[in-house]
Amino acid sequence: MKNTLSAKEVLARLPGGAEGEVYEVHRQVRPLLFRSGALESLRLSETAGRALRVIVDGRLGFSTTTDLDDGSTLVHNALDSAQHGEAVGFHYPSAAEFPQVPCFDPEVESLSDEEMIATGKEIIARINAEFPQVQVHVGIRKEVEEIYLLNTSGLEVSSRRTLLLIQAAAQVVGEQDILFIPDEAASRRRQEVDAQAVAENILRLLRWSERTVPLTSGAMPVVFHHTATAVLLLPLLHGLNGRNVYLRTSPLSDLLGRPALDPRFTLVDDGRLPFARLSSPTDDEGTPTARKTLIQEGVVRHFLYDLKAAALAGASSTGNGYRGQSLSGGDFRRRPNVSPASWLIAPGERSLEEILGELDQALLVEEVLGLGQGNVIAGEFSNNVELGFLVRRGQVVGRVKNTMIAGNAYELLREHLLALSAEPRWVMGWLHTPAIALDRVSVICGTVER
Amino acid sequence: MDERIEEALRRSRADFTDIRIEQAWHTRISFEGPHLENLETYFEMGGIVRCLVGGGWGIAVFNTLDDLPERVADAEHIARLVSSELNERFELPPAPPIRDQVRASLQKDPRTIPLQEKLALVRRYNERMLRESPKIVSTRTAYADSFRIVTIANSEGTLIVEERPDTAMLLAALAREDTNIQQAWETVGEAAGFEIVEGQEEKAVQAARRALDLLQARPVQGGIYTVIVNPELAGVLIHEAFGHLCEADFLAKSPAMRQLLTPGRVVGPPELNVVEDGYLPGRRGNTPYDDEGTPRRRVYLIRNGVLEGFLHSRETAARMGFPPTGNARALSYQYEPIVRMRNTYIDRGQATFAEMLRGVEHGIYACGFVGGNTGLGQFTFSAAYAYEIVHGEIGEMLREVVLTGNIFETLHNVDMIGDDLTIYGGAGGCGKEEQQGLPLTLGGPHVRIQNLTVGGRTT
Repeated sequence: MKNTLSAKEVLARLPGGAEGEVYEVHRQVRPLLFRSGALESLRLSETAGRALRVIVDGRLGFSTTTDLDDGSTLVHNALDSAQHGEAVGFHYPSAAEFPQVPCFDPEVESLSDEEMIATGKEIIARINAEFPQVQVHVGIRKEVEEIYLLNTSGLEVSSRRTLLLIQAAAQVVGEQDILFIPDEAASRRRQEVDAQAVAENILRLLRWSERTVPLTSGAMPVVFHHTATAVLLLPLLHGLNGRNVYLRTSPLSDLLGRPALDPRFTLVDDGRLPFARLSSPTDDEGTPTARKTLIQEGVVRHFLYDLKAAALAGASSTGNGYRGQSLSGGDFRRRPNVSPASWLIAPGERSLEEILGELDQALLVEEVLGLGQGNVIAGEFSNNVELGFLVRRGQVVGRVKNTMIAGNAYELLREHLLALSAEPRWVMGWLHTPAIALDRVSVICGTVER
Repeated sequence: MDERIEEALRRSRADFTDIRIEQAWHTRISFEGPHLENLETYFEMGGIVRCLVGGGWGIAVFNTLDDLPERVADAEHIARLVSSELNERFELPPAPPIRDQVRASLQKDPRTIPLQEKLALVRRYNERMLRESPKIVSTRTAYADSFRIVTIANSEGTLIVEERPDTAMLLAALAREDTNIQQAWETVGEAAGFEIVEGQEEKAVQAARRALDLLQARPVQGGIYTVIVNPELAGVLIHEAFGHLCEADFLAKSPAMRQLLTPGRVVGPPELNVVEDGYLPGRRGNTPYDDEGTPRRRVYLIRNGVLEGFLHSRETAARMGFPPTGNARALSYQYEPIVRMRNTYIDRGQATFAEMLRGVEHGIYACGFVGGNTGLGQFTFSAAYAYEIVHGEIGEMLREVVLTGNIFETLHNVDMIGDDLTIYGGAGGCGKEEQQGLPLTLGGPHVRIQNLTVGGRTT
């Protein structure tokens, strides 16, 4: 190993008066892939990178590098960026009391390749035992990362985190149709990633999919379950982002303290939940994470902020400055941005079974295609029901095909909420949500070929 | 560097080994409303080793080249572990070694343009959109350029050094009237230099005006329609409806999928030709060599309405008994190449736009795209804006037009193919598995489709 330049040495190279922040990630990722039931590949990825954010004369600059030996290019690029950068009104946070948030599980770190392979084989065997013709694809991914954050305000944080992710999908190839049933589980703690539950969920959906039934277009009760709940929550992801509120591109921008959704709807953003995929003691710019009720009994209570958006809006950071694509942090290449931690939707009182049992006819939607397409900002959705079932009085009649659902998430969650189920579950390692039953959702059915 | 790579390759005892090293220079600029959101230049370097042993792949990713021989040993070790789990062996048929250097020819190499010059241009477009109307409440103006030098070497003696430029820009405007919020955008994206983003004021104006127009547009009523898609949306249709299905990694290990997709199967009308081409110099899917070092090959996915070919990596080609096509592409050094599209388009037909409109009593003319998605069987794609067609004439503007179909139905319902052909690079890219945002192009002529399901309000 060469002598790498330390984060402190990088900060020491900044000109006098400049404020600086170094964010460094060392990451080990091991993804394993089974395709059509057979092991295909295993990858070991060991990468490191560093981001430098500076404020010079009140202007923000940013750059990143994967070359930890080199400080001069990184510093030069960040200063060049600051020279033309945006004037900002924030300073880096200083050292504070950070919450204790468990993020590291030695059982994930010590998980061997052989154990991961065995888990994949178990999922495949379990599904193929009941459906031998079904092809099963499995991906298992283990991550161990060390994050180091240092700034000129005196903050120095380091954190080790683990993540275990299992994704599985069953594929059924018919004469005129390909059916794809995915599921996944993710946590920072090994014991919370239940491979058996992933297999069982896929089996349940396979059993329900054995028969295809026609459905007539119309406005009807639709129960959003599992991944399909994201159809309704993606608009809120945009709408509750304080930056969008400030820019007035959020439909909720004038509704702080006012009712926006049904009084049974309560939504919490929690960055401290032990071992959750999006949990950590601080966000990616050193602000302590927090638990905030964003919507309380239908009333908008808080928006999410990072340092930059908070400075613009005259608010405080809520500990939601994450570096990454939305719904993930820890990517040193990305500048911090407003992003949610775990979202917890308060469950209702009746089980999904009871809710469905009370409806003469409902469309139960498990998976959709085209998530995030359409005018999400305004709350509009229009999605293909990739996996959905016609349910009459609680009985699953069969799978529907060539069907679209459409509506406005804000309007439906305000005017037409039938019920929230009593059993919340994790979706994409981000949402912890019950099934959401809505009335008067537009359902358009094309022709159904047999 | 080449010497170190070849030395590391010589030490491998795997059946096959390849090493890919990437050096990349990036610039990113983005505005959100009047705010400069991001301004950065950065350099990134990394590499990936793949070893194949008995049909099992072991892969190692890194971004320091200091311990290359150890990384090869890691990959080899993992490959042996994977191989021990396999019921059948597989060997990669040898490919002739290639020694080549591919230079990019750019009018304006983005690495030589000062950051402030790039910023000034992007700021001008951003301000142009904001100036259009007080109803334009925000924008998203994003510019990104990259210049990659990729070295691909393998144990068969191949050593290719390829320069890969990419420049793209998104000009998005958000218009608001009370709670009605609409957005519209224009994009530019080419495997080219800074020159392609110059002189694009018109696109900024178009984006802003369309966002304003959408405020007045009517949400589409859901139903089954005759739809004419414009060339951009035709490209998305074929990419989602058929392109992904022809990616042979979905087929190679699945007898059921191979049976379903037997070459010779009639999948559309005789006028339908779909081409997948690695050779479109200057376009985002231009890949002289793919990330396994395979030279490009042009493939007809559909010829005269009949399924003809697939897109292959070396492995899928060998497993299915075809020649590799040069479609093994990786998003970056962090990922192994998987089967991806390059430039995919429906070839031109004979109908004029006027002929397509004729006889459409109540239909939709759908334009531009928000995105698309496929579940292999079903697919969906959404138009950025649309118009109704009434008695053969273009009528009012519509919004929220999302279309859906089934691969074995929708293409049969194509009844007219236009005599125009346009190919789009866009500013985004295609996502597959964990690799999101791969640059490519898509396109086609105007295409008319009968009985297409459109989502939307029922009342």
